Amino acid sequence: MKTFKYIWRNIRRNPIRSLLTIMSVGFSLALMTVLYGFLESQETRKNSAAQANRIVVMNIQGFSGRLPISCVDEVRSTKFVAAAVPFAWFGGSYQDEQMPFAQFATDPESVFDVWPEYTIPPEQLEAFKTNRQGCVLDRRIAERRGWKVGDRVPLKGAIYPFDLDLEISGIFDSPKNTDSLYFHWDYLNEGLRQQDYANIDNSGTIFARISSPDSIPTVIKSIDDKYGSSDTPTRSQTEAAFFQMFVDMLGNVQVLIRNIGLAVVFSLSLVTANSMAMAMRERVTEIAVLKAIGFPRSRVLFMVLGEACTIAMLGGFLGVGMGCLFLQGMNRLMPQFFPFTVMEMLGPWIGYGLIAAAVLGLISGIVPAIRAAQMSVIDGLRRIA
Amino acid sequence: MSNLNADETVVVVRDVCKEFHRDQLTIPVLSGINLELSTGDYLALMGPSGSGKTTLLNLIAGLDRPTSGDVIVCGQNLGQSSEGELSKWRSRHVGFIFQMYNLIPVLTAYENVELPLTLTSLSRRDRDDHVKAALEVVGLQDRMDHYPRQLSGGQEQRVAIARAIVTDPTLLVADEPTGDLDAKSAAEILDLMHRLNTEKEFRKTIVMVTHDPNAADRARRILHLEKGLLVSEVTDNRTRATVQ
Repeated sequence: MKTFKYIWRNIRRNPIRSLLTIMSVGFSLALMTVLYGFLESQETRKNSAAQANRIVVMNIQGFSGRLPISCVDEVRSTKFVAAAVPFAWFGGSYQDEQMPFAQFATDPESVFDVWPEYTIPPEQLEAFKTNRQGCVLDRRIAERRGWKVGDRVPLKGAIYPFDLDLEISGIFDSPKNTDSLYFHWDYLNEGLRQQDYANIDNSGTIFARISSPDSIPTVIKSIDDKYGSSDTPTRSQTEAAFFQMFVDMLGNVQVLIRNIGLAVVFSLSLVTANSMAMAMRERVTEIAVLKAIGFPRSRVLFMVLGEACTIAMLGGFLGVGMGCLFLQGMNRLMPQFFPFTVMEMLGPWIGYGLIAAAVLGLISGIVPAIRAAQMSVIDGLRRIA
Repeated sequence: MSNLNADETVVVVRDVCKEFHRDQLTIPVLSGINLELSTGDYLALMGPSGSGKTTLLNLIAGLDRPTSGDVIVCGQNLGQSSEGELSKWRSRHVGFIFQMYNLIPVLTAYENVELPLTLTSLSRRDRDDHVKAALEVVGLQDRMDHYPRQLSGGQEQRVAIARAIVTDPTLLVADEPTGDLDAKSAAEILDLMHRLNTEKEFRKTIVMVTHDPNAADRARRILHLEKGLLVSEVTDNRTRATVQ
């Protein structure tokens, strides 16, 4: 009979207590996995943006400020700018779904010059350029919804008083999930004009690809200096800084989440330690018998620690597994918030989560294990005498 | 199965005193105990509660160390041995039988008997042979897959005896082995212990603590303790005072 078999039998001795302990570890680690996954997805987005030579130009007041469409050509003509497009958030709903995926009004002529890492068949790109109501979308959206080229996508305006009736002209591939649909900026602007909408000819933001990373500070300064004293002063920043802005919006929440995570681990260690201490108290006589028949302290220590670690690790596998499944589900259902795969979001956290569970087991088991190992055989046997 | 030759001295207790300390108090439990046991001896320790009989048993079994004096069992001076050495020594030389059987409830009869063998370097097959032989001695080979809760008290105690003899120890120590059994089961256990003591195949040296005169009658020697002193000894139905 091997030691692990004995450990396993002891875990099953009080199945409800063991199950509750495993589940308390599991649910807490699942929560932490999801929270860290969300934070890491923000980091991943920022890090992937850092590899691109792109800048984002927006009104100094932020998204609410205007950025005239004329600025796009002016940005294009700036030295070192390879390509630039307007990029206006539409935020429409599809059927009953609000924010089903990201939708941007842009320039079909240049959008794939700004994002050259995206690939689309030439004939589909050509169709997109020539069809005013045409749109292109990320392959992941098409696969998720079973859409194909030629299908119509009606989008109801939520921000703008104008509904879009789009036809899928093409499907593009991107290294990471963009969860985005692009359509003609002109189509939106014309529609708004017909509705007598006040804020027309607004590009929203401008995304520009710079020919070399060394030139980015020069381009940013040049653009912001140019519009500094105009009616629409700009704030230009790298794409990475732009996404960092969203991460920063979480501000202290991020620190809070991480600290809550540590607090959860600490409180869990107390819960598990209490559970282990209860189990050991019930088994004082048995431990005394084991020691009487010759089990050395080290083996008793190992058995108790092994039990605590096994319980915690089972909770760890359960928790990280549930967290991964949840994130995978969110990636499918709400890719606009969770655009990356589980591995992209979590990566090493899966390992860290399991290590955290093992450490939790060690912390919670060490005191009961030492007490069991150091317990006097005579005192233990006397408990039932 | 015995390791020692006939009449070889197994236990030597020489001028042993044992004191316990509770808070500021020093409580003398044994005073100047002298005792010798040879291979095949069967000793019953009797006396009122608090007389020190279980303490003496624990000293002989290597579960405790004397405050002064020597306890030499199977050639090992237990008072001078470390905790680790005592654990190892007990696993080789002592088999324990407890009043409440003290089987591990999550293990089957077979696994309970196998437990002491997991401390040895025996192969799985050898362990299996030993366990089955021990269960056969106690007549429970057909109950090896039963858990303790599925056995009667007498059967549990027989499994405990199988666990005690599976490593072929020289010495068996029993603390009230029939204290929790009905008369019939108690008689069966005492018969079994008698076999282990008398049959040439086993020749176990047994030290038993008991309150039961019937159980003590099975022993070759009976020592009476009172207030930590040996007050009388009965050997082969002859009583002699041994007040020290």
